[in-house]
Amino acid sequence: MTKRRKRVVVPGLAALAVVAVLLSAYTGATQQPDTVIKDRGSWGYSAGSSPQGRSPIQPIAFPHPTHVQTLGMNCLYCHFSANKSPDPGMPAVGTCMGCHLVIGPNRPAMNGRPARKSEGIATLQKYWAQKKPVPWVRIHHVPDYVNFAHMPHINAGVTCQTCHGQVQQMNRVYQYASLNMGWCINCHVGNVNPKWKARYDCSVCHY
Amino acid sequence: MSENPTPSGVRRREFLKILGAGGVATAAIGCSSDRVEKLIPYLNHPDETVPMVSNYYASTCRECSAGCGVLLETRDGRTFKLEGNPDHPLNRGALCARGQAAVQGLYNPDRYRGPMMRNASGRLVPTTWDAALKLLAQKLGAVQGSGRAGSALFLNRHESGSFPAFLDEWLAAYGMPAHLSVDPLADNAVIAANRQSYGVSWPWLAFSAARLIVSIGADFLDAWGANVPQQLEFADARARLADAPRFVYVGPRRSLTGCNADQWIACRPGSELAIANALSGRGSLDDAATASDVPVATLQALKAELTGTRPPLVLSGVAAGDAMELALVVNELNKQLGAVGTTVLPDRAITSFDGIATDADVNAAIDAMRAGQVPLLMIRGANPVFTTPRYVAVADALKKVPFKVSFSSYPDETAELCDLVLPDHHAIESWGDAQPMANVISVQQPGMAPVYDTRQTADVLITLAKANPGIASKFAAPNYMRWLIDRYPGGSTAFTLALEKGVGTGAVAASPAPRRPAVTPKAATPIGQTAGDMYLVVYPSAALGDGSGANKPWLQEFPDPVTKICWQSWVEINQQTAVKLGVDTGDILRVETAQGAVEAPAYVFMGIHKDTVAIPFGLGHTAYGRYAAGIGVNPGDVLPAGFDAKSGAFAWTATKATVTKTGAYTPIVTTEGSARQHGRGIAQALTVQELADLAAGREKEKVEAMPGMPNTEYLPGLRSPMAADAQGVVSSDIKHKEQGMYSPDHWSGMAKRRWAMTVDLARCTGCQACVTACYAENNIPTVAAPYQEVHTAFLHGVAGGNILKGREMNWIRLERYWEGGEDGGDFEARFVPMLCQHCGNAPCEPVCPVYATYHSPDGLNVQVYNRCVGTRYCSNNCPYKVRYFNWFGYGEPARPQYAWPERLSWQLNPDVTVRGKGVMEKCSFCVQRIREAEHRAKAEGRAVRPDEFTTSCAQACPSRAITFGDAADNDWTVAKLALDQRGYHVFQEQLNTFPAVVYLKKVNHPAPAASAGA
Repeated sequence: MTKRRKRVVVPGLAALAVVAVLLSAYTGATQQPDTVIKDRGSWGYSAGSSPQGRSPIQPIAFPHPTHVQTLGMNCLYCHFSANKSPDPGMPAVGTCMGCHLVIGPNRPAMNGRPARKSEGIATLQKYWAQKKPVPWVRIHHVPDYVNFAHMPHINAGVTCQTCHGQVQQMNRVYQYASLNMGWCINCHVGNVNPKWKARYDCSVCHY
Repeated sequence: MSENPTPSGVRRREFLKILGAGGVATAAIGCSSDRVEKLIPYLNHPDETVPMVSNYYASTCRECSAGCGVLLETRDGRTFKLEGNPDHPLNRGALCARGQAAVQGLYNPDRYRGPMMRNASGRLVPTTWDAALKLLAQKLGAVQGSGRAGSALFLNRHESGSFPAFLDEWLAAYGMPAHLSVDPLADNAVIAANRQSYGVSWPWLAFSAARLIVSIGADFLDAWGANVPQQLEFADARARLADAPRFVYVGPRRSLTGCNADQWIACRPGSELAIANALSGRGSLDDAATASDVPVATLQALKAELTGTRPPLVLSGVAAGDAMELALVVNELNKQLGAVGTTVLPDRAITSFDGIATDADVNAAIDAMRAGQVPLLMIRGANPVFTTPRYVAVADALKKVPFKVSFSSYPDETAELCDLVLPDHHAIESWGDAQPMANVISVQQPGMAPVYDTRQTADVLITLAKANPGIASKFAAPNYMRWLIDRYPGGSTAFTLALEKGVGTGAVAASPAPRRPAVTPKAATPIGQTAGDMYLVVYPSAALGDGSGANKPWLQEFPDPVTKICWQSWVEINQQTAVKLGVDTGDILRVETAQGAVEAPAYVFMGIHKDTVAIPFGLGHTAYGRYAAGIGVNPGDVLPAGFDAKSGAFAWTATKATVTKTGAYTPIVTTEGSARQHGRGIAQALTVQELADLAAGREKEKVEAMPGMPNTEYLPGLRSPMAADAQGVVSSDIKHKEQGMYSPDHWSGMAKRRWAMTVDLARCTGCQACVTACYAENNIPTVAAPYQEVHTAFLHGVAGGNILKGREMNWIRLERYWEGGEDGGDFEARFVPMLCQHCGNAPCEPVCPVYATYHSPDGLNVQVYNRCVGTRYCSNNCPYKVRYFNWFGYGEPARPQYAWPERLSWQLNPDVTVRGKGVMEKCSFCVQRIREAEHRAKAEGRAVRPDEFTTSCAQACPSRAITFGDAADNDWTVAKLALDQRGYHVFQEQLNTFPAVVYLKKVNHPAPAASAGA
């Protein structure tokens, strides 16, 4: 009755010590005075969602098309917790290095394609060598008073592309949807897909 | 005209341009989302974690000596909530307020960031671990070299488990004597008596097996003994309703425990032994009556009841010079009356209190320091400078010790006087174990990596030993965790299994060292022979314990369960005496003894003997961080250093005092409204007879005439026409009107549910663990620390200032009402947890101009923070007064009222919004837990299972009074309890609010003579 989730045997102390935490959960009100204050409206809330079309330059120009279209990787391979957590999960640097230990920055000429040096893989390996996480720039942001959870959406059959656009074709990811409340409600009332009709009273997301 | 320059020299057109640009700039700052927010991944993802999904690590609570099992709710590397471990035999899933507040010790903003060393100018300054350890190794070597190691001293805050044995082994390796295990809260007299009578230090007290409980000053619901197991047992006993034991409390003041008694016999302090003797037939009733100021008839009746009721349970817990003698008499009485084996169970003893040094031992050690005999002092966790009476002058004694090392993690009074501070990990960062009961090992594991540059003391000791060639071989284990595993019964496999459950079986190694020779304690002067006009009772505060809770804002803002005072010390004084002295609540009284004087505001109280004043212990710190220092007074300043001659237990109640009115006044910081119900029927109770009549249907008419009678037909359907209107279901369709929004045909499927709560007032003891649990779960700010006070010409950082203005934020509060006693006689206390009632027909909803509060289809009265514009109409219209307004930006670091200074903010629950300035907030029925359970059920393709989850208050409740769930589904426990014949809604009858909270009436057990109509 009291257990809300599984209990685990040994804490991943080593891992916890290694690196910081996905900031998403904790950025809220109190962690980063500089950003929070700047971003607050007169009621003390960050004023809104990130703007549609936003496409920041990332520390590594990660090519989604190469990984998804050319190599056929599933979204959930890297964003591993999208179907089991409110948070979709950002791949650990170790996950990247699972392949990129072998696939280095210098690709020889082969199969008629010329030799090429990949800046991205070189940067990744540099981060790995320095034992530093990649400081990805967050693109999609909803205000603190919105409790958006990925898990129920994915499990209801909503595809990643419905909200994030054709990420598999984006060489630099941009924000496809407006992320404003009207956009959320439009789907919850069943306008996008009648099967996805869901509750849309305030307490579904705001608490 | 447009060309006329303005006085500042700016033309209008230019001004408009500036304004326009400024507007854009403002908009850009105000609304821009172009800020750079980073998404930092792990380097290597820990296998067992999923981002934003909590793991629960089973561990052990170290806030008091009891050793309850806890689950550390940890997410993304941070532990942010403690819950009781349901698998633990001691606390069975419950956790008290002090345990809940452990996280505020972990993230305390005033913790030492790293090791500290006293520099040449005598100030404690940060240093490195290498330098600190080098210095300590050198000092240890010097002490050994000088041959004085045998006089060195290690004071450790008491804990059961392997650490005491480890520590003694380490000390022995250096040639030092065994450590002293300090617990100022332990009732050493009772422990010694129990050992003599039963052979165990703390037998299991089976309240539920008793038919009569007589407590002579034993505050088993406050700070006496193992709080949570005692509360669980007591609540289980009271839940037997008609069969429940009658409870008589004998003592000079009515503590929380006393408030739960059916009868309070007010006696003079120091007369308890005479009463016990009279009850057991050793002394005469007349003598006892003379000494105690209790009518002979009352004692006679109690004696008759005690001898005629089997089995009874008699307890004693006075802190006076005859405490052990009293405890022995009581133990003998229990034996005579057949309580041993039925209500007192030595076979199921709690072993947590084994090995506590007596207060006299500690005092002797302090004397040795004063005499300059101690070359080296090490202190871990204990704070004798605060907990020992100032008269003993521990601070002066410490000055005679050439080198003092503190392992304290907090800048407490003792640590601040030490030469070297090697801050220990918090319990949530440490490995360890406890032995709360025979054959039960409660394991302790860290929930997270250390917050600051601290080190676990055991690891520090191992490091020191390894650097010492003479003894390195004895400490081969690389660290304390390994040391524990190596000695764990069953080895590492059993240890791993125990970690999963939190408890294992077996016994930890006992300390090999011989105990220190017992000292002959200095007997306390009998209280009657001391000078003064009033008896002075000093008792440990329920929330702050021995004062170690004072640096946690949750516990400071925790209203005392009885007086409802927080952030303040007070002097309890009887109302008749107060009238005689012309004293009113808030008048500052001077309490003076031969040892000194303290001044604190008076609290005029029915529940204290007329010759007595009482002051709670735990406040009055001079150091210990921003939340503790300078708040309240320390009654230890006026106590003499007397002991129970037999056991060496410190006599807290040992002196009279002269009480005078100073003429000054300070408002009492209280969260209380009215102490009386004024016929409102908020806290209702039945006598046993009425309960029987109710069951038989005899008293139906009378019962129905009471306000807010059950009419449980409101649950589960709880029709709510007004809420339906608010949802836009306005139609002339009568069916809609009837069903409101709870139509099972509602397309969302959610309307099948009606989240509801029952609160069993027969179980509730008023301990307020739920209050702290709610603060922890729902990111409720504490508002009344001195620094949060707005500074005006008249008020400068007064602790409790915001509460004086009615700005407290406790979503759930305990209302305490007095019944009777207007004539100065016995009275009844009733406790009601009051939280948002989630009314089906909520008065707050229609008055909100912006629909910031509305009714959800699953029966919640929802507060939408981002819609709220702060009109406060809802709060004005709420008859339960359970809505709280954010008068300041408590969540904004740049504001002076910021409630979570670094790094208390790490405790914030990521599932719950931190509310901003100017919005209303209130109990949400832990909607985040509801949504989480729904999401999880959906992901697993099933419905939410009955009793699958519960709210934070219900989870913590050590008396299991609160039940939460879906009242529309009969498989949930709450649906059954809501139909209980004792059920009632507060204000339903008068206000038609259709609450979702059902209270079950308390059951009182009047004295046998009274119920017979005598």
